[in-house]
Amino acid sequence: MTRYKVKDPELTRRRFINVATGATATVGVMSLLGTLGGAHPMFRMTEDKKPPMEGDILVHADPAKEGTPITVADLGTTLVQAWPMGTDAEGNKIIRKGEPNNLLAVYKFAAGELSGEANVEATIDGQVVAYSDICTHAGCPVPDAKDGNGMFCPCHSGQYAPKQGGIVVGGPPPHKLAQLPIVAEGDNVKVAGFFLTPPYPYTDEATWEATKEAAKGA
Amino acid sequence: MNQWLDERLHISRLNDKFLRKAFPVHHTFFIGEITLFSLIILILTGIILALSFEPSNAMVVNSFDPGTPADPNLVPAAYHSALKINALPFGDMFRRIHHWCANIMVAAAVLHMMRIYFTGAYKKPRELNWWIGMLLLIFSALTAVTGYALPYDNYAYNTLKEIYAITASVPWVGPWLAEFAFAGRFPGEGIIPRFYGYHIMLLPGILLALTAAHMLIMIKQKHTQPQYAKRIAYKKIVGVPLITQQTPIMIMLALLFAAIVILFSAYVPVHPVEHYGPPSSQPIEGIKPDWYLLWVFGLLAIIPNTLSFDLLGGHFSAEFIGALVLPMLVIGLMFAVPMLDRAKDNMYYAENPTNHPHRLAAGIAFLALLIVWSVAGYKGELVANGYLPSASANAILWGLSFLIPAIAYGLTLAYVSAIRRLRTADEREQERAMVYGHDD
Ligand code: HEM
Ligand code: FES
Repeated sequence: MTRYKVKDPELTRRRFINVATGATATVGVMSLLGTLGGAHPMFRMTEDKKPPMEGDILVHADPAKEGTPITVADLGTTLVQAWPMGTDAEGNKIIRKGEPNNLLAVYKFAAGELSGEANVEATIDGQVVAYSDICTHAGCPVPDAKDGNGMFCPCHSGQYAPKQGGIVVGGPPPHKLAQLPIVAEGDNVKVAGFFLTPPYPYTDEATWEATKEAAKGA
Repeated sequence: MNQWLDERLHISRLNDKFLRKAFPVHHTFFIGEITLFSLIILILTGIILALSFEPSNAMVVNSFDPGTPADPNLVPAAYHSALKINALPFGDMFRRIHHWCANIMVAAAVLHMMRIYFTGAYKKPRELNWWIGMLLLIFSALTAVTGYALPYDNYAYNTLKEIYAITASVPWVGPWLAEFAFAGRFPGEGIIPRFYGYHIMLLPGILLALTAAHMLIMIKQKHTQPQYAKRIAYKKIVGVPLITQQTPIMIMLALLFAAIVILFSAYVPVHPVEHYGPPSSQPIEGIKPDWYLLWVFGLLAIIPNTLSFDLLGGHFSAEFIGALVLPMLVIGLMFAVPMLDRAKDNMYYAENPTNHPHRLAAGIAFLALLIVWSVAGYKGELVANGYLPSASANAILWGLSFLIPAIAYGLTLAYVSAIRRLRTADEREQERAMVYGHDD
């Protein structure tokens, strides 16, 4: 006769329940995480969300004149805000303001006034220059300083010098304003390529490069 | 009817257990109740607002100023519905009451915590309720911030953008986290529906659950007793029962409170959406967060932008350190209060603040620090008006962040010891009078 050695049933039962609880909890949490993923929508780079692209025309961002192309005569030493306007596959005009960080700052200074880190090659005759108008600190649009001394961000007092390539001259912003290369097209201002340095909100070259690739491909 | 109900629901047990809970009578004990009333008014007015609010940031034609068919005046639907609410009978009033109450709720919670802190009521066995109270404070601030976002005017838009930037500044996961919390890259199509969900379902649910836990624990553990209770009946619970004495007091207080809030709302507008206009590329001059977040804003203003570094592939920006790390330390310190100052035995009586001068002084120094940082939030204005030199503004404000709390600490200690000296002199005087009789 064989003799059965009976294990303590209490222990195995408890183990079973522990394992079962653990397993269901794991499955439950994992499926919950899956549904939570739905809270994070995919980003689709539509035409109105692309960064300023080569060939775009700069148009006024001022609500009163929004969408009318900027002429060089509109420009001066006071800030003119602009959106890049491109065309979609069907040839419709698209103002790229779906991405609010595409707001641009355009100035025209007297010849020879641009200095410092400004890339003169990327301006019109060394006079008309375009920057990202979005503060690199926390993304506020940057207006002219009230005292006439460059640009002043009202959010946390960041200061920029548009004559010197948009460098930071005060306050918390970590980077200068990115310069946008432009050329003249008749009276208008045309974009000649991507921003020369990563604009807000990009903090590193790699993601900015990836965005450029995506914009070109899409 | 009582008997009918009692036979079915045993309400007499409820009565014995909860409805006769003794409430100490002292004006500082009513601040917590004001917090509760604000929550109730917020929920009531919030429901009314939700009936007419349209949670969408899709662009619609502004029916108040439609523009021309060729060039329609488009505004976000949420903004449009806020304008429409303003145009309803008492609509603007409800928005103002809701908004005023949000401010008052946070303010009352802060004052309530000050009472708890200064009388040592957070000590054993009430640590749990201190922590729940901290969570309530944090979640009411979060609820208020998500509420701000809803009308989606230019102010809301700029605030959201800032919070998005702060969320995205978390090392490694920041951008993903921000897109997750804000329903896509800012300003995604889903942002207002998402914040609506947070503001009227998720966060109020959390607030109600926490409030219920707070109240139940309070009833179980009983209030700390004010000092007079010790004199009347040592180690006995002194106070007026919830039913019937406390209830009329509460109702009167609630009505008075509601009346004051409505009076405020009638005369002092808050968050005039039409003044800010719909979201635009124009920043708002001198934009500031609400007062209870001003200290974080001030910290951001004085944190040097050179304070950033990379570690293991993550970028730790000044934004992250100023807006998340340092405030977390401050909040962590508040959470740690019951661990730093413990009692061996269960507390019965509220302590006299002057008997614990160092705790009192530390609390006042802490408040002073937050006030200095809040003032730093006005750095731009201070510099622009010549009160601070632009070049050394940060250094001066950091100096003050150490100096003012230190002075506050010292002054409090000096003041307390003066009070104590007077008190002991008084006692001696009384003893003398008892022994020798009065001079006169
Ligand atoms: C519990 C704490 C709550 C706080 C601190 C709070 C705070 C706020 C704030 C500050 C606003 C902006 C109001 C404005 O500018 O007009 C707001 C808006 C709103 N809240 Fe609340 N709220 C709370 C609870 C609730 C609840 C429980 C509901 C709904 C059941 C609600 C529904 C709404 C709605 C629909 C709006 C948009 C109204 C509008 O501006 O037109 N709130 N809330
Ligand atoms: S966003 Fe411009 S200084 Fe902070």
